[in-house]
Amino acid sequence: MATRTERHETVSTVFGATLTRRQFVRGGGALLVCLGGLNRLGPVGSMLGSTVEAAAGDSNSLNPGLASSWFEIHADNTILMRTGKVDFGQTTAHTAYRQIVAEELRVSYESITSVVMGDTDRTPDGGFSAGFLEYGGQNLRKAAAYTYQALLDLAAATLGVEKSALTVQNGIVSGGGKRASYGDLVKNQQLKLTIPVSGELTNMFGLTVTGDPPLRPTKEYTVIGKSFPNAVTPSKVSAKEVWVTDVRLPGMLHGRVVHPKTLGSTLVSVGTLNKTRFPNAQVIVKGNLVGVVSPSEWEAVGAAQQMAADTKWTDWKGLPGHEKLYTWLREQADWKTTPPSKSDKSRGDVKPALASASKTLTASYEVPFMKHAPIGPTIAVGDARADGIVYVHTHNQNPQALRGQLAMMLGTSVDNVVIRIYAGPGHYGRSNGGNAGAEDEAVLLSKSVGKPVRVQWSRADDLQWSTQSPPGVADISVGWDANGTITAYQADHYMPAMQDDRLVGALIAGLPTQPAPAPNVEGPIGSTINGVSDPWIYERVPNVAETGFGTFQLGQQASPLAVGLRDHSMRTPGQLQQNFPRELAMSEAAARAGFDAIEFRLKQTDDARLIGVLEAVREASGWQTRVSPSPKASATGTASVSGQGVSAMLRSGTYWACVCQVSVVPSTGKITVDKYTIAVDPGIVVNPLQLKRTIEGGALMGLSHALYEEMAFDESGVISRDWRSYPILTMADVPEVKVVILSHPEVGAYGGGSEAANALAISAVAAAFFDATGKIARRLPLKPSHVQGILKA
Amino acid sequence: MAGVAFVVNGTRREVQASGDTPLLYVLRNDLELSGPQFGCGLSQCGACSVLVDGKEARACVLPVNRVAGKDVTTLEGLPGLWAKQRGGPADGESSLHPVQQAWIDEQVPQCGFCQNGMMIKAAELLADTPSPSIAQIKQAFMAGPSPHLCRCGSYSAIVEAVQRASTIMARRK
Repeated sequence: MATRTERHETVSTVFGATLTRRQFVRGGGALLVCLGGLNRLGPVGSMLGSTVEAAAGDSNSLNPGLASSWFEIHADNTILMRTGKVDFGQTTAHTAYRQIVAEELRVSYESITSVVMGDTDRTPDGGFSAGFLEYGGQNLRKAAAYTYQALLDLAAATLGVEKSALTVQNGIVSGGGKRASYGDLVKNQQLKLTIPVSGELTNMFGLTVTGDPPLRPTKEYTVIGKSFPNAVTPSKVSAKEVWVTDVRLPGMLHGRVVHPKTLGSTLVSVGTLNKTRFPNAQVIVKGNLVGVVSPSEWEAVGAAQQMAADTKWTDWKGLPGHEKLYTWLREQADWKTTPPSKSDKSRGDVKPALASASKTLTASYEVPFMKHAPIGPTIAVGDARADGIVYVHTHNQNPQALRGQLAMMLGTSVDNVVIRIYAGPGHYGRSNGGNAGAEDEAVLLSKSVGKPVRVQWSRADDLQWSTQSPPGVADISVGWDANGTITAYQADHYMPAMQDDRLVGALIAGLPTQPAPAPNVEGPIGSTINGVSDPWIYERVPNVAETGFGTFQLGQQASPLAVGLRDHSMRTPGQLQQNFPRELAMSEAAARAGFDAIEFRLKQTDDARLIGVLEAVREASGWQTRVSPSPKASATGTASVSGQGVSAMLRSGTYWACVCQVSVVPSTGKITVDKYTIAVDPGIVVNPLQLKRTIEGGALMGLSHALYEEMAFDESGVISRDWRSYPILTMADVPEVKVVILSHPEVGAYGGGSEAANALAISAVAAAFFDATGKIARRLPLKPSHVQGILKA
Repeated sequence: MAGVAFVVNGTRREVQASGDTPLLYVLRNDLELSGPQFGCGLSQCGACSVLVDGKEARACVLPVNRVAGKDVTTLEGLPGLWAKQRGGPADGESSLHPVQQAWIDEQVPQCGFCQNGMMIKAAELLADTPSPSIAQIKQAFMAGPSPHLCRCGSYSAIVEAVQRASTIMARRK
């Protein structure tokens, strides 16, 4: 019911949202006219050498409670949408999100002509760039659904037709013999739709649109489910994209940071810059942070190298080194201070069930530290201006959280910090809590010199001073009856804290940061608590006990810098560390029980979606139904032997099953993956083509984890420093990759597609190695030097 | 600081830079060419690749004085290179090199940061080997100072795109 509050304004409610309408805008107008200075903003960025204009200093985040912050529907029927989620190339924000919004608004995909992404003063919602479809997609879907209802109300009033008699197709509202486009409806109007939201803008999760506006029934979908191409690809392949590496500001200096000698070293003496060799360079010291700036990038690089050689640091040894990692985790780490967590699927009484089982398997599994290892090292341009406003141009998965952290470091209000987002090298989770590495250092150097400073880390910096995916140790016990039905499953997962979002430059400089991960840090992610993050999928098992044990990061408390080995979530975080042990144990148990590994899994579930992906991957992969190891298995000889392995997972509302077929040369221990097949059921498939490419990428990243990746470190720090000491998968290793997508719109939700494929590769390859050789490798990676000993044992 | 002259994407350019400056910094900072990217600075990944006299080279470790008088092609110059290879003016059908078009058609990039080097390598390969086998394609991306690395795992899409580029080139020749 609309109420007239003054001569030209009406207010109505729309499923809990509030629509205010004023009829005084002349010439143009829009539904959801944007307020707050958006028109004063310059372009998002520009090519090398020219200026990146910044927003006026008073610009803040948009009001997420206003639909106008999410969308602008213009009189010419074009639509602009905004999201704080930052697309790293999987194209979800630019493609899937457009499809979702177009679908709810009943407009064509093409009518959404602009996507504004990530910039803290131009997007409303914040939160991490992960679970794009599960979380962020739902926000946009609901915001669009409210907006659609408001448009219908508007049309009903404008056309004089009952709302229930209206239909919309391609942005044209029809009913009662009348019709109007959205553009017609908004012309000469200023409308304000206020939608309900909850949460905090600058925390990890950002804001959530609440309430339950009616969503478009999935059976009416016309835009979702189509393979629209990635809207960003043309600019990237033709060198027209403005990458973070391309940002140049007037007066900008190139900065390099001389990081301490170890992860716990403090300054003894700062070296003297050779002004003859580096006449235009300048040294900046803040706490233990030593930086060099110069108008010339090459001079900055040279000066930083000279300063690194001449600066003296204290020594520090506080890490076990990678060779002793698992012993240290078992024997030295403090697993008692942090309360354990139980999975919500834990049930029954595991101990007696294991004791009375027909057969059991008890084994331990080990996952190393792995690096996010983006192809380009972290880079940011900091621009701390004289008026106290700080701009940061960067590539980041949680710009609003970064904004909050920088404000804390500087002791200023978040209103004084603006983050601008550009395309950059994908770092798969490293910055989803707010920073990738270079941002705070760029700000500190810029503040010191009063000019914009571009800080780019070296390859070694990026491997040695960034966060990494934490290691995991797991003890698994499985018991089954004479029929091969699992009666008991117990998993104890051990993993150090996984989400250290402290700014490393601030730590080195001795400036304020948020607290380090500890048991009492609020929220499930920033604490040392290790949640069980691999959802149990074998529903028929009556007795399940899954426990996560957490601890502090290695060396972090002892480091005089409070640095040590800082960890951060990485693609399929935590679940990777837990799924590898579970799924390899399932394959081992199947073999011991005398069952085929897929048959064995099918016996433990009634879940139609899990059964669906397992059966699909069996069919598509050419799986041989039989017991492992293969009848031709051999652990010796120079002749190649073949094997197959399977794995399964539920992640972000999506069911996954994967088969890897491998060849192993026992004499060398060399594993070659010949074929990777994966079946995926995300419920609603938003964009099959982009989903397929994303899964293929995840699959190959997973083979990289399985075969190559392990961060090397000694007692003082990380010793992986380049692509030789931290090798990743190459073209020579690429198998045939086959992706099978199962569409189940009746599920009603968009499951995620970017994660899981990497984690599933690991257990499938390990199971295939077992099938080929009869030997079990429970420690990653499965590189020749690791598996050769196992083959000889 | 001396002048170094070379041809970039068909145009003679002269820059003032110390001779040991890596070509990558000159291309990006002095000539404002943003195709080649800094990946490692060690010639270990290929993100910075350019063609020097038609051969793939790693701009991050190549001192600029080593390209004096030579012909450098960056990602920006691939369309022009294709026009030259066809012996005519720019392709009327597309303003992109067939490799770039194939990269779009096959939706190759995930983050895309490494794709500069991948496309440069593909252009080099196809100039010499118009119809490469899958083994030859894989071999090309393993050859040179190091394998060309992709963190996002776009390798299988790259193989498919090189095959498509080969087809496009054969059709348009």
